[in-house]
Amino acid sequence: MFRIVEESIDVGALVTGAFRPDCGAVATFVGTTRVDESSGASVEYLEYEAYRPMADRKLEEIGAEIRERWEVGHVSIVHRLGRVDPGEPSVVIVVASPRRGPAFEASRYAIERIKEIVPIWKREVWSDGYVWVGSQVGTRSRHEGRNTASLR
Amino acid sequence: MNGVKVLLFGAAADRAGVRQTELSVHSGVTLGELWPILVDRYPALVPMRDTLAFAVNGEYARMEDAVSPGDEVAVLPPVSGG
Repeated sequence: MFRIVEESIDVGALVTGAFRPDCGAVATFVGTTRVDESSGASVEYLEYEAYRPMADRKLEEIGAEIRERWEVGHVSIVHRLGRVDPGEPSVVIVVASPRRGPAFEASRYAIERIKEIVPIWKREVWSDGYVWVGSQVGTRSRHEGRNTASLR
Repeated sequence: MNGVKVLLFGAAADRAGVRQTELSVHSGVTLGELWPILVDRYPALVPMRDTLAFAVNGEYARMEDAVSPGDEVAVLPPVSGG
């Protein structure tokens, strides 16, 4: 199941939805908003936007790539848009496979591919302005581009 | 002459100050030829040039790919999902 949503993600339902009698392993990756701090300022929340329906199709492509590479019984990827507050999930990936190796590897692959090919963008809203992650654009003039090197 | 719909996202929409515009082009113009027309209208996009990717009708495209009236072109800054 591949979905882009605007409301909070029910992680528990996604995990139990992956349980199958032919799979002995379910791996879950959850990306959550982290509060960064620098120079007396801190991240208050993240805000995501997407180019749809291209982003929806790219999530499905990642699912197809996973099924070509690993023996998996279930793949779910759900990404949230809009405001995501600290500690809340923005992306949830659940992979079930007969044995644990493919579930671990494929869930890692999914998050790395999301960061490469899915047209979704994240804006960090700080106490002193905002920054588009990955671009040197924002209103935090003193810190603009701070994250660029580490995230791209 | 007719219109190509151009969608801008993230930092590109921020810099341009718009999320959508329409450009008049001849059929068969390439993305590379479309770019100067776009930045003529939104010069603030110029510094982003090397970081941007483009899509035509919802699929990644190269600068030598042609667009036609009625197509949808998307200006895509470095993606940062997750």
